[in-house]
Amino acid sequence: MDTNESINRISTVSKVLIYVVLGIWTVINLFPIYWMFTFSLKGNDEIFGGNMMGLPKHWLWSNYSSAMKTGNMGLYFLNSAIVAVVSILIVLIASLMATFAITRLVWKGRNLMNKFFMLGLTIPIHSSLLPVFLILKKLKMLDSYQSLFIPYAAFSLAMGILICSGFMEDIPKDLDEAATIDGCGTWKTFFLVIVPLMKPAVSTIGIYTFLQCWNELMFANTFITSGRFRTLPVGIQALSGQHTTDWGPIGAALVIATFPTLLVYIFLSKRIQDSFIAGAVKG
Amino acid sequence: MKKKITNGINVFLFLLPALVLFLVILIIPIGLSTYYSFQDWNGIGEMKFIGIENYKTVFSDKIGLGPAIKNSIILAALSTFIQLPISLGLALLLGKGIKGERVFLSVFFMPVLISTVVIGQLWLKIYYPEQGMLSILLSGIKFGSTSIEDLIVNWINNMNAKLPIPKPPYTSVPWLGNTYTALACCFIPVLWQYVGYHMLLLYAGVKSVPPELREAAKIDGASDGQINRYIVIPSIKSIIKICVIFAVTGSLKSFDLIYVLVAKPKVADVPSTVMYTQMFKANNYGTGSAIAVMLIVLCFAFALIIGAIFRKED
Amino acid sequence: MKMKKFASVLLAGAMVATMAGCTTTTDPDQPTTPGTTVTDPANPSTPAADGEVNLTMWCIATESDSNRHSYEAAIADVTAAHPEINFTWEAFENESYKTKIKAAVAADEMPDIFFTWSCAFLGDFVDAGRVYCLDDAYAKVKDELPESMMGNSTYNGKHYGVPLTMNIVGLFANMDLLKEVGYDEIPGTYDEFIACCDALKAANIIPFGCAGKETWCVTEYLESVIEKSVGYETLNDIFLARATWANPDVASAVDTFQSLVVNGYFDPAGDALTNDEVKANFMAGKYAFYMNGTWNCADFAANDEFFAKVKVGEFPVINADKATLGQLIGGPSDTLAVAQSSPNAAVAADFTFELGRLICKYGYLDGCGLPAWNVNYDDSAVNGLTQTVASICAQAKGYVLFGDTAMAAGDAQTYLEEVAMVYGCEVDGQTFVDDLASAIR
Repeated sequence: MDTNESINRISTVSKVLIYVVLGIWTVINLFPIYWMFTFSLKGNDEIFGGNMMGLPKHWLWSNYSSAMKTGNMGLYFLNSAIVAVVSILIVLIASLMATFAITRLVWKGRNLMNKFFMLGLTIPIHSSLLPVFLILKKLKMLDSYQSLFIPYAAFSLAMGILICSGFMEDIPKDLDEAATIDGCGTWKTFFLVIVPLMKPAVSTIGIYTFLQCWNELMFANTFITSGRFRTLPVGIQALSGQHTTDWGPIGAALVIATFPTLLVYIFLSKRIQDSFIAGAVKG
Repeated sequence: MKKKITNGINVFLFLLPALVLFLVILIIPIGLSTYYSFQDWNGIGEMKFIGIENYKTVFSDKIGLGPAIKNSIILAALSTFIQLPISLGLALLLGKGIKGERVFLSVFFMPVLISTVVIGQLWLKIYYPEQGMLSILLSGIKFGSTSIEDLIVNWINNMNAKLPIPKPPYTSVPWLGNTYTALACCFIPVLWQYVGYHMLLLYAGVKSVPPELREAAKIDGASDGQINRYIVIPSIKSIIKICVIFAVTGSLKSFDLIYVLVAKPKVADVPSTVMYTQMFKANNYGTGSAIAVMLIVLCFAFALIIGAIFRKED
Repeated sequence: MKMKKFASVLLAGAMVATMAGCTTTTDPDQPTTPGTTVTDPANPSTPAADGEVNLTMWCIATESDSNRHSYEAAIADVTAAHPEINFTWEAFENESYKTKIKAAVAADEMPDIFFTWSCAFLGDFVDAGRVYCLDDAYAKVKDELPESMMGNSTYNGKHYGVPLTMNIVGLFANMDLLKEVGYDEIPGTYDEFIACCDALKAANIIPFGCAGKETWCVTEYLESVIEKSVGYETLNDIFLARATWANPDVASAVDTFQSLVVNGYFDPAGDALTNDEVKANFMAGKYAFYMNGTWNCADFAANDEFFAKVKVGEFPVINADKATLGQLIGGPSDTLAVAQSSPNAAVAADFTFELGRLICKYGYLDGCGLPAWNVNYDDSAVNGLTQTVASICAQAKGYVLFGDTAMAAGDAQTYLEEVAMVYGCEVDGQTFVDDLASAIR
């Protein structure tokens, strides 16, 4: 009895400790959101030195109206969303298929091909700005949605394949063998057996690709010229001037850009988390 | 025979979308960068072939690539041995199923969703000399009459005393404005921001461990630590490998946040900032391309080494 | 009426100043870009019979840029006067625009008209043969735009850019703080100036605010000190690579600057601050002086409380044997240029001059800078600070363009790194000039 009690006490103490740690980490991770919100309601005098962390002394809701007035944030948001969704779809299709070929089909050179795709992880994005610009010019794609979602998808692809192969390798081989015995062809096996089991991979790849393109500035600024294709980061960047920048409206624009993402994430997170469990394969 | 051919066609078709994207957007630019790296070119006008001159410049200490690579390797090590264990710990804790699991999971992921501009501005304020959060915090922690802030200021002033010209002493720590603290100050937000991403990836792995295995181990009397050590971690090895590769290549290529926080060359250089300066500020596109090629080789080598280490473990 | 006089004197001053500096940045062997008379036969430069001409422009006058209003007003005027021209324009953020325009020039995907910085930045594009020569169009507006203002965009004697406004480095002073130590005016001589700094320091007021994180802010101080020690001609020759850096006078001028640092006149915390932060500190009364571009005038004037305290002046002469008052750092840098690839380059050229003149006018009236073009309108409503700067420019003996704009990009980078080391007390004046002399041929 005694030992049980002390074990219980230890576990209670450790439980409290765990929650304290998690609580602190929660505060640290929520702080940027609080800070961004207060930042968006301040003027330059408070942002620089006067009152960097506290609640605004003067609540400048006008920052929001000037952020909305300048530029066309609604349109930029829509453009960013279109580019992100298409990029995610391309990465998902291409990486699921390629990973299937590498991990499930038997052919010479599959290991080499796997390594080849790893090259995609190594490229510093700035060095490819000019080459990709020249290629897009050749393809007559500059200043269009595809001038963004094609490069974005390509740059996320390597990670997509890496994540996919991590999850696909864990799917037991007997499953496709069983499917083949049941008379499924390669394509049927892929769509009916493998893809449904890849839900956790789909979620993580989707999130990764989204992060890669949602905040990307350099490609978006260089490849897009017309205002009607402009994405959010470029639109927000355009709120700063050459010599003087009013940071309040930038903060407001960032809130406008970030909060919907956070809301969508919170809304989706249950499904994302469910997908992790649904993907569990019974070994 | 026929089966072989269908298999071949299938392999080709399955690879096609990825291959096309890869060749057009990634491989051709690598080729072009390699070509530029042998040219004397300002990025605008005519090129002149100069052989390996650019590589000689890159290896000389003129542009400071050596220290930059060293810094990024330090970052990669910190990322692997500090950031990842934290992420793994959180993932195991949440994956075990505790109260509020989903809320914590969502909250811990949030910093990843926030734009680098916001994170950069936030940390600029945290590191603001004297009135920033860090200085206020460290001034408050005192040993006798000297605070941690004082100790760091004294340390920097002592280091500066070795300068050829007597520099007036600092009265507060210029966190991002000196070579001694700027690098560490940059690394903290870089590491912090992506803890949530790794955690999510690892959590997905932890959740895909069959619950029966866990149950069976529990019945056998295994503690949580033992379950994690002998059952969970071995079965998410492939995910851990992905995280390590992502952390290391990401560290070697890191740019955004460091550029926002420090802005000035030679204070907290990493290879990408040196490359950016050469390409777009100094108009030495050839030299910048040589750095890019070096970086690609370095990242690729690291990715292969990591892959090999994990295979050996099996 | 008074301002009319200012403006005309200003131009007189500008005429004295030699600014035909950038000629050397172009390689003389480079075949000069065709353009003056040659037009692509496939693309007649005169508008077609139906008269519709499409022109596009890229610039950096984003919605929140202080120049935005002047662009909008100018474009409204010019397009109203030219219904036959179908004009579209896009504005991009300053830093990312630099990458965008370089990539566009490299790929020959430029708009008809584009914003650029004069001297080295535009020079690279001219060297590559991508910029349309404006000699013909300039001949038509010569009376309104003095040749001296064209110097920074003239290469091998040909004109490639339309200047908009110009700016100089100003010595801004918080007079409230100066009064506390007994000064009613910005000290006029260097000795007085130093005495004033010492008095400020004794009263626990930091004399100078400077963003150590952005080296161009340090050059605003350093270049003024060098110019007022060695004279503008010497500095100009060095910046434009016509003379070597290995000049003992420059070395000792750099030492003079460094002594300001060593004496503790600068805010040490400034090492970790950006210019936005330093400027906010200056406006909040933390520093007595702030040396920076005169583009700040509009901002300071817009803040009523601060406008009452601030004055702008010229940095005092250090060595009267070599330098005089009226030798200034600055000049026309903001420029519009026309792409060689434009199918309507000749039309675009005339259009750009008209546009440039109006952007200059509205920009000057808004206090964003000083006019590069002649002033033939009422400018009495311009804010007091800009008016003071105009009167300083009216006495100008010579201008030296900001070093990082004047020098070729690679050299400018080396220069900025060396300046940072001087400011950080890592090298002295002699090492500074030796390093630069060996790095810049």
